[in-house]
Amino acid sequence: MIGIEDCLFEAMSIPGALGAILVDHATGTAVATRGLPDPERSAGGLSEAFRATQIGLALSSPDGTVRIDDMIITTDQGYQLIKPMETPFDGPLLICVRLDLSRANLGLARHRLQTISRQLIAS
Amino acid sequence: MAEPSIETTLTGLADDGATGALRAGRAGTIYLHEGRVSHVECAGTPSVEELLTASGRISANGVRTTRQAAVGDGGDVLVRRGVLTRGELQLCVLGATLDASFFLFGVAGPKLRFKDGDRHWLGTHWYFDVPALFQECRRRRARLDRAWPSAELDTRPVRPVRRIGSRHVALSGPQWEILLAADGESAPAELAKKIGLSAYATLVAVRELAAADLLIKPEPPPSEAEPEPEPEQVLPRRTDRSGLRPGLGPDGRKANTIMPETSGDPTDVNLLIRLRDALEALQ
Repeated sequence: MIGIEDCLFEAMSIPGALGAILVDHATGTAVATRGLPDPERSAGGLSEAFRATQIGLALSSPDGTVRIDDMIITTDQGYQLIKPMETPFDGPLLICVRLDLSRANLGLARHRLQTISRQLIAS
Repeated sequence: MAEPSIETTLTGLADDGATGALRAGRAGTIYLHEGRVSHVECAGTPSVEELLTASGRISANGVRTTRQAAVGDGGDVLVRRGVLTRGELQLCVLGATLDASFFLFGVAGPKLRFKDGDRHWLGTHWYFDVPALFQECRRRRARLDRAWPSAELDTRPVRPVRRIGSRHVALSGPQWEILLAADGESAPAELAKKIGLSAYATLVAVRELAAADLLIKPEPPPSEAEPEPEPEQVLPRRTDRSGLRPGLGPDGRKANTIMPETSGDPTDVNLLIRLRDALEALQ
């Protein structure tokens, strides 16, 4: 069982992690952050990206609803991993990790994020 | 003399590294720990007690007994009993505090009273730097205005439209919950307490619903002003005393001109003199 700061520490210890942020999706608040230049803007941007994906997928899926387990975005510089975690309070908490293109192992990173979210939130 | 604002008083307490509770009349309370804010309560937003109950993890009675037995460590007791994880407790405090701050800091002229050493029953589980807290409130205000720039639905009963204008809509979780809970009488703040969502998240969702044309908007109030008189249908006849045609005389120019009016106002004259001096100095 871990707290918010430990959760961020764990995320930063994923091989290849360059930065990590916890975002409250319902309000767009940057809850805690490591290694990001502008947490406020990052939180807003990542939250918007998640929301747009959710709506886009809902409109293009035959059932109309989808639950996103995590999002993997490959960029020219690396990967962005965005994972929503359901909380007992306001909407989900997003944990977002920026990973180095050459050093990161996506499978491992996803597995580690899964473990971290189970430790932070009891489900 | 007017009461100092919450912002001024809180900044002063932060500079002094104060520990205690700043009560803002009946509007709410701000708890400080060594100059940093540890908890904020506001009468208009769901409290941690209400959030805990709404989460379904503990009954209202369970919260009450823990609160009465707690000696400033209620949060640790809840974690030890397995009601919440440490992370969930921090998120609960964080969410409730930011929500309460947003609404409490906007309250005008409350009576402020600081009680040294007072602590919240949950204990201290998260710290907020005072300037960062004000900055977050400003960010939230801007976000709200981006969703829909009018406050006209913030305090009125939420009334969903009967029929949507398109074939389908995409709703977020909070939007769905608000539409389900809307009974035509509850305002956003009441709905927030009913569904256990923060008042701010509820307000954002309500404004997004308004922007998507999913809520009935209030009728614009009937204007008090006299209706504009109908323009005269019959053209006025020219007589010897009619003077210049409309639009040509001094009155007509006043109404149609796009240039600023000239005046003998000393500030204008002074400005022109300073401008001339500056231009001369350039040469």
